[in-house]
Amino acid sequence: MKLSIYRFNPETDDRPRMQAYEIEPEAGDKKLLDVLMRLRTVDDSLSFRRSCREGVCGSDAMNINGRNGLACLTALAGLKEPVVLRPLPGFPVIRDLIVDMTQFFAHYHAIKPYLINDGPPPEREHLQTPEQRARLDGLYECILCACCSAFCPSYWWNPDKFIGPSGLLQAYRFIADSRDTATAERLDYLDDVYRLYRCRTIMNCTEVCPKGLSPSHAIERIRLALLQRSS
Amino acid sequence: MRLFRGQRAWLVQRISALLVLALLAAGGLALLLGPPLDHARWHALATGVHGGPLIMLLFAALCAHAWVGMRDIVLDYVQPRALRLSVLTLVALVLFAVLVRVLLTLAAHFAPPG
Repeated sequence: MKLSIYRFNPETDDRPRMQAYEIEPEAGDKKLLDVLMRLRTVDDSLSFRRSCREGVCGSDAMNINGRNGLACLTALAGLKEPVVLRPLPGFPVIRDLIVDMTQFFAHYHAIKPYLINDGPPPEREHLQTPEQRARLDGLYECILCACCSAFCPSYWWNPDKFIGPSGLLQAYRFIADSRDTATAERLDYLDDVYRLYRCRTIMNCTEVCPKGLSPSHAIERIRLALLQRSS
Repeated sequence: MRLFRGQRAWLVQRISALLVLALLAAGGLALLLGPPLDHARWHALATGVHGGPLIMLLFAALCAHAWVGMRDIVLDYVQPRALRLSVLTLVALVLFAVLVRVLLTLAAHFAPPG
């Protein structure tokens, strides 16, 4: 199997380069991450993040043949060769396929990704009806891999101000939560020309999400919530 | 003052798009279904008691739509603050000039009823 991988070591390299590799996958190698792990036994200077290797932690997000995805969920079968691997586009590169996620998580923290409830604490727990709980489906599953935000042109243009599809999906996850009482405060924060309204409904986010979620739908729901609030 | 910020601008863009679409469709239908189109008919339409204000409304909606769209493009691509302000001012002036020109043209040919 032929691969072409983005290499950059800020300590030794002036500029990034693409390095060609050729490696034979073994019988048990089914996903791209398996090959990358095998490649590490040949070249231990190759750097990338990975943890759970089953699409839950979101750490091995990268650009695979021009499309963002998780190496651990990308099947080897059907991958066009040479497989071109680059770091997530639009993110500062720390080394090889590892990118700096500081800005991304700053946006995530800014939307207050936790339940806020000013009411008296319940004796046991805040209960939800099955319908209220169902509203969170398609929202809570986000693993913050950043595939969506790193595939969003609006995020490339304004990464410091636009919250990005991932952060907005998370924001709507709490706006939609019946137990949360800070909806007005959350909407106030989002009603901004940059934070929410940089979204151009390009829908790359929905197209590329490795978990099959739809950030663009969540963004539309936030806009509707703002509209309902002001009407 | 939050006009042209966040939701307001988004709403202005969508409402103006609907207005332009409706006015163009209505205008197109009126032209298609009426007698043959010549200068006299164009003139009558543009200076009529309904035609003039509707044309003005069409251009106002068009300019509002263009302003939000151009502002979005400038916010994305023009990052230096001084240059951004200059480009936005230029866009606003051009759109304002278009509106004034349309208004003056319509007013010059307006034929009051009776």
